[in-house]
Amino acid sequence: MSAYPSVKTVEEFKQQPEDYQTAVRKIVRSHALNELYGAQVFDEPAIRLAPTPYAKWLTCRVAMEEYHHHVRFRELADQIGVRAEEMDTRHKRPLNIFEVPLESWEQFCVIKMLGDLAEILQVEDLLHCSFVPLRNIARTTMPEEKFHAQFGLDFCVDLVETEQGRARVQKAVNGFYPEVPKFFGASGSRNNQLYRQFGIKLRSNEDMRADYMARAKSTVEPLGITLPNA
Amino acid sequence: MTEAWFTALGEPLGEEERREIAGYLAGLGMHAALPIHLIKTWNQAGETCQAPSDDWWRAEEDERARLERSARLDPADPQWLALNEALHGAAAVAAARSGCADAALIRVAAGAASSAAYQARLARAAAVAGGHPFLRKYALYCGGRWPLGIYDGVFAIF
Repeated sequence: MSAYPSVKTVEEFKQQPEDYQTAVRKIVRSHALNELYGAQVFDEPAIRLAPTPYAKWLTCRVAMEEYHHHVRFRELADQIGVRAEEMDTRHKRPLNIFEVPLESWEQFCVIKMLGDLAEILQVEDLLHCSFVPLRNIARTTMPEEKFHAQFGLDFCVDLVETEQGRARVQKAVNGFYPEVPKFFGASGSRNNQLYRQFGIKLRSNEDMRADYMARAKSTVEPLGITLPNA
Repeated sequence: MTEAWFTALGEPLGEEERREIAGYLAGLGMHAALPIHLIKTWNQAGETCQAPSDDWWRAEEDERARLERSARLDPADPQWLALNEALHGAAAVAAARSGCADAALIRVAAGAASSAAYQARLARAAAVAGGHPFLRKYALYCGGRWPLGIYDGVFAIF
């Protein structure tokens, strides 16, 4: 792990080298955007697709938590000098993972189970971040991210109780999963090398991707679901 | 006004609450004199709302869509998010007092209250008249209730 000293406040952040500041801004902006895209294109539309009031209200609460995550990252982004237009989903192209159109409840449950698992890995990597305000946001959002992934898994467990349900979950996994490993960025990334050098992140993109693929496999196998090639 | 989120769950209904329910149902185009089932426990509430309630939900969604043609709210507004956190906290406290530790069910209750709060804010933003069904339902939440909806022709409330 890098020995980069802790940066405890936004004021201390502003005294750091420009490369450090740029690296932190990229990560905070990325999380702010991802949380907003997720809430807008998956969570909020899924309320309509949920089959019962129980599922609709639970999805509504999850959507609010995702919006709240976005606001936490956006507030920090504002403080560290990320321009507002850089966090506006009308101006920034989303990551590939957010371009899958949401068409069914099964698909949403799979997105929570496997997509939020990817988010958990990204947040885990910030739990010991050298920039303490970012570290604290990661620690604050992590329990909710874990709940969201569990929410997806729990509903998938119910869905696969019937052959028809299992087939629909498998179809959703086949459509969504191949896009997810790209979420971890390029192998040998120069940005990622800087993040680790500055103690912002812990692991390489390729380590995280391999870990994700292993954890995704162990998540779906007990459901009788297989992962397609990514 | 001090809201009493989730503090009257399972308590007998008062006459004013029964009138609010009748006004709410009539405002949605439902039969105002539907039988009312008073839910007594968190488990019962969770089981009840795991049944489909499509006609009731569609009636609310139609009205929401109609109001959204004249008013829009920002789901990432910090004050709105603060209210949502307060609702989740109140649901968690109420559940804990009743020995319920089901994190999902607590979120379901919070999500229901968030949904009702959104509908009421939308109704106000659209400048509806007093007595609008979304304002009546929200008043039930503010008074400590959790209206669960219509299941098999019966209005369920906790």
